[in-house]
Amino acid sequence: MLTYIIRRILATMPVMAVVALFVFSLLYIAPGDPAAVIAGDQATPADVERIRQSLGLDRPFLVRFGEWVWQILHADLGTSIFTNLPVAAMIAQRIEPTLSLMAVTLVFSVSIAVPIGVVAAWKADSILDRAIMAFAVLGFSVPVFVIGYVLAYVFALKLDWLPVQGYTPLSEGLWPWLKNLIMPAVALGCIYVALIARITRAAMLEVLQQDYIRTARAKGMGQTTILFIHALKNAAVPIATVIGIGIAHLIGGAVVTETVFAIPGVGRLTVDAILRRDYPVIQGIVLLFSFLYVFINLLVDLLYTVLDPRIRY
Amino acid sequence: MDRRAFLKSAATAGALAAAGGLATPAISQRAAARTLRFVPQADLANFDPIWGTQYVVRNASAMVWDTLYGVDENLQPRRQMVEAEEVSTDGLTWTFRLRPGLKFHDGEPVLAKDVVASLNRWSARDSLGLMIKALQDDLLAVDDRTFRWVLKRPFSKMLLALGKNSTPACFIMPARIAATDPFKQITEYVGSGPMRFVRSEWVPGSKAVFEKFADYTPRQEPHSWLAGGKQMLVDRIEWIVMPDQATASAALQNGEIDWWENPIADLVPVLKKNRNIMVDIADPLGNIGCFRMNHLYPPFNDVRARRAVLMAMSQEDYMRALVGDDPALWKPLPGFFTPGTPLYTEEGGEILKGPRDLDAAKKLLAQSGYAGQPVTCVIAQDQPITKPQGDITADLLKRLGMNVDFVATDWGTVGARRAVKAPPGQGGWQMFHTWFAGGDCINPAAPWLRASGDKAWFGWPDVPEVEAQVSAWFEAKTLDEEKAAIRKLNKAALESVVYAPTGFFLQYQAWRRNVGGIVKGPLPFFWRVSKSA
Repeated sequence: MLTYIIRRILATMPVMAVVALFVFSLLYIAPGDPAAVIAGDQATPADVERIRQSLGLDRPFLVRFGEWVWQILHADLGTSIFTNLPVAAMIAQRIEPTLSLMAVTLVFSVSIAVPIGVVAAWKADSILDRAIMAFAVLGFSVPVFVIGYVLAYVFALKLDWLPVQGYTPLSEGLWPWLKNLIMPAVALGCIYVALIARITRAAMLEVLQQDYIRTARAKGMGQTTILFIHALKNAAVPIATVIGIGIAHLIGGAVVTETVFAIPGVGRLTVDAILRRDYPVIQGIVLLFSFLYVFINLLVDLLYTVLDPRIRY
Repeated sequence: MDRRAFLKSAATAGALAAAGGLATPAISQRAAARTLRFVPQADLANFDPIWGTQYVVRNASAMVWDTLYGVDENLQPRRQMVEAEEVSTDGLTWTFRLRPGLKFHDGEPVLAKDVVASLNRWSARDSLGLMIKALQDDLLAVDDRTFRWVLKRPFSKMLLALGKNSTPACFIMPARIAATDPFKQITEYVGSGPMRFVRSEWVPGSKAVFEKFADYTPRQEPHSWLAGGKQMLVDRIEWIVMPDQATASAALQNGEIDWWENPIADLVPVLKKNRNIMVDIADPLGNIGCFRMNHLYPPFNDVRARRAVLMAMSQEDYMRALVGDDPALWKPLPGFFTPGTPLYTEEGGEILKGPRDLDAAKKLLAQSGYAGQPVTCVIAQDQPITKPQGDITADLLKRLGMNVDFVATDWGTVGARRAVKAPPGQGGWQMFHTWFAGGDCINPAAPWLRASGDKAWFGWPDVPEVEAQVSAWFEAKTLDEEKAAIRKLNKAALESVVYAPTGFFLQYQAWRRNVGGIVKGPLPFFWRVSKSA
């Protein structure tokens, strides 16, 4: 197992290198010029050129790429063109809200989706099953921002239960932290509830037709025990896979959710950086998220061995 | 630990954490009343008002850095940091004396050497500053409170240049900071204005915080825009960035923010219905929409093609697309200068007035030799002001029989592409849309109306008559002389179509009813703004 983990971690190195080269190249050929954005409307073309030079944007591709790689190898993500702040510091400022949002969304999604998926499988083809699957289709279909606006209208404007926007750090208390995250997590989580519920239902349907389930029933075992102890554990591998993929997709969903709820997370930082062509920030974030993606995939792979002892690496 | 013990521990930990949250001292009503929460027009992504000339940077800077002069609501520059000035009879030597007691936020006194360093940095970037620099013979600190600017030729717009609110405004910084290359960003944010910047709480893209500077001594005169006594009635101002308009609207209704700089027209009816919210025009000087045509390449290198577009365009179409059906929010603009200001003129504006004559425009376009070649129209889709203008223009050009190459992109790309002088098929362009703050169009000091060919703003118009009248305005010594020059300038610029104005439009601002002292102006002025519990 340890060898496998080491091999997987080593395998991430070329992946990260390819990602780095790809991102850098993409930004290099992308249209747009941060110097023009900085200079503003009063600037002359000569001013824009001077700013471009001072930012080092006039240097050849290989020089800039080499410099960036050298920085990365020294654990330095560079400095933002616009804010003049270190990229690592900017990401550090923003990572807690994003991780919090992802964590609460995940807890919400899994705690809702898995039980309803199990129930839908148990009551397959019943009205309850169809209602759950209809909800799943709805969850897939309604955009995050629409759910966000509806929630804000009802729970913030009409009922005044929750704040419309913002983020409170966990260090200021559990409830202040949570109350800012409930609506964003529900808005973002709907699609994952739908996704995980459907996969859970499908996986459970297959397992529930196995001989050992029939045997368990014949032995008079309780329905809850059969469903949640015996069947669910054996259906867990595809469910864990889809949760893992879901975490990766949460990163994308966080961009919209953070914008709608004005949460100062990495998602919004990404959008702002792209619109301004703040290359060091974009590169730093993409690199970070690539690493996160690879890491989550590794975790899911390792989780398989826990969920299904037959799997060995 | 068994499962039950674990669950008990977790529940206890959760309860304690929650209790900790509840026990966190709540901000008192009094303290809340001393904190103003403001949603600015954009993110404060950098904080160097000379290096980055975005309006949002200027607006925040006006709290932190003071100016030598400040333009008042009558558009007149008034003394601010300056106690008195003296100009020699030949108009060549300007001597300024700073008022006593001025201090920077680090406790150091503001000295003439700081002003000299600041002027040097500003004049390397500002269009008026560059003109003064070109005339400069000497700029020196005479003593701690006196500095002198010696010119080779008189420059009658000196006080306007030092007090204007257009970017980059002439903000005064400590000499060590002002020594920074004007093309590089400063790293210390120390000013002498009424508020100090709390760098430790700055989260670009989310929040910027300003706290009252206790040692600031406001002038005794009543405040008026950037002039007069900048007295702060709140202790702390939080700028909260909200990219989503609907969220900002909900936050204002919910009392989570106090003042919103620029709600879009679509949301204003909802805000007006809320009895806790006040809505009013933000800036009486408004904005001027426009599109620029590339004078270097066909078809717009022929004035007949440019005039054909002007003859056919309906400013009403543009304005309704921009601000909707609220007639209070827009007016047609047969010229280039801000309505309601002293230099406003409609001289030569007939081409933009009256019923639109599409047939005559088509004939004129044909005379220009246009033969169906693609017209590259670059439109920023992420800007609520440029997108609708672009849509209207695309329709207009199609109705004129033009072959429109509609390039839908973002503002960052437009900013880069408009600087490309190559032919349209090789990365260049023939048309792009933008807008200017009305406060920057009260005179021809900004570069947009200049027509100096290669040195002119994007589109590179080359019209000697326009340049001659801009120079005449700079030389003018009286308002009547200025008006005469501007009338000729407006006429010449419309005849040659330096650019196409699409109309004048206003925007709203909104605030909670418990906030007082908000005035209309070209930027949000925070002095004398109060908040009750």
